[in-house]
Amino acid sequence: MTDGHLFGNILLAGRGGTKPGQMRVHSGGIAWKRQGGGKVIEVDKADIAGCTWMKVPRTYQLGVMVKDGLCYKFTGFREQDVSSLTSFIEKSFGVTMEEKQLSVCGRNWGGIELNGNMLTFMTAGKHAFEVSMADVAQTQLQGKNDVFLEFHVDDTTGANEKDSLMDMCFHVPNSNTQFVGDENRT
Amino acid sequence: GDGRGGGKTSTDLVAYKNVNDVPFTKETMIYVDQRNESVLIPIHGFMFPLHISTVKSVTSRQDNRTCTTRVIFNVPGTPFNPHDANTQKNQNEIFLKEISFSSKDSRHSSEVVQALKTLRRLVASRESERAERAT
Repeated sequence: MTDGHLFGNILLAGRGGTKPGQMRVHSGGIAWKRQGGGKVIEVDKADIAGCTWMKVPRTYQLGVMVKDGLCYKFTGFREQDVSSLTSFIEKSFGVTMEEKQLSVCGRNWGGIELNGNMLTFMTAGKHAFEVSMADVAQTQLQGKNDVFLEFHVDDTTGANEKDSLMDMCFHVPNSNTQFVGDENRT
Repeated sequence: GDGRGGGKTSTDLVAYKNVNDVPFTKETMIYVDQRNESVLIPIHGFMFPLHISTVKSVTSRQDNRTCTTRVIFNVPGTPFNPHDANTQKNQNEIFLKEISFSSKDSRHSSEVVQALKTLRRLVASRESERAERAT
């Protein structure tokens, strides 16, 4: 391919494990291939709903929102890649690049944003973490104020993780105005 | 607690000021950062930093060859919860209350639990000492 940009050593963030791959951003869309074969991700430019940059420890993360609600995240970009890729993506895909900021303040309280099938936990107005609803195996209401999310855990994704996420629980106080519960619910 | 007093107080907790201050871990694992009194929690590709003062308790359980580590955080309205200014002040917010991880490396799990407990005790005793001195 003559057009586009090629990047080596790009990680698929999320539950993809920690194996790097090669990423190609070309005028028709994006393609990522895991090193040594295996997983391949291809997104046509017609399916791209938006792109984001986020500065993460040591490197940069590119987020690609797909129109069906999925969101792929790739890490391992250098600072100089950001500006060149931004103009290329905006020009070829016709989307505007947004910049997200990672929250590092260390709080366990904040807001929740639901976008597509992504749940984003925001602390101090910045992004703390995101989980995909596709990875949620089960949700449960515990008591009146606690929402419990259980995640799929399987051997393929957990194989090269020392700690694999199993479940998390959010506490929504009665005073919360974003998610007002149904008082009649038992 | 207007944040200008110098030093960290529980009312003005900051784990990291800047993204670049966050330590980089190559492996997907819970990492206890003693120096910044924080714990980094891996959530689907994100390393979510939490200040130690948000941690209420840590437990671990081992069955067969899998270790389950559970971290419980301070939330408002829990019985017997010390009246922390953070949980009182932010009533409109949503809280991360609990999170658990499974690991096949039991040694790593017990190390994490030990390190978290020690750090928590250390910071808690320092904070209470400071509060005592202030009165």
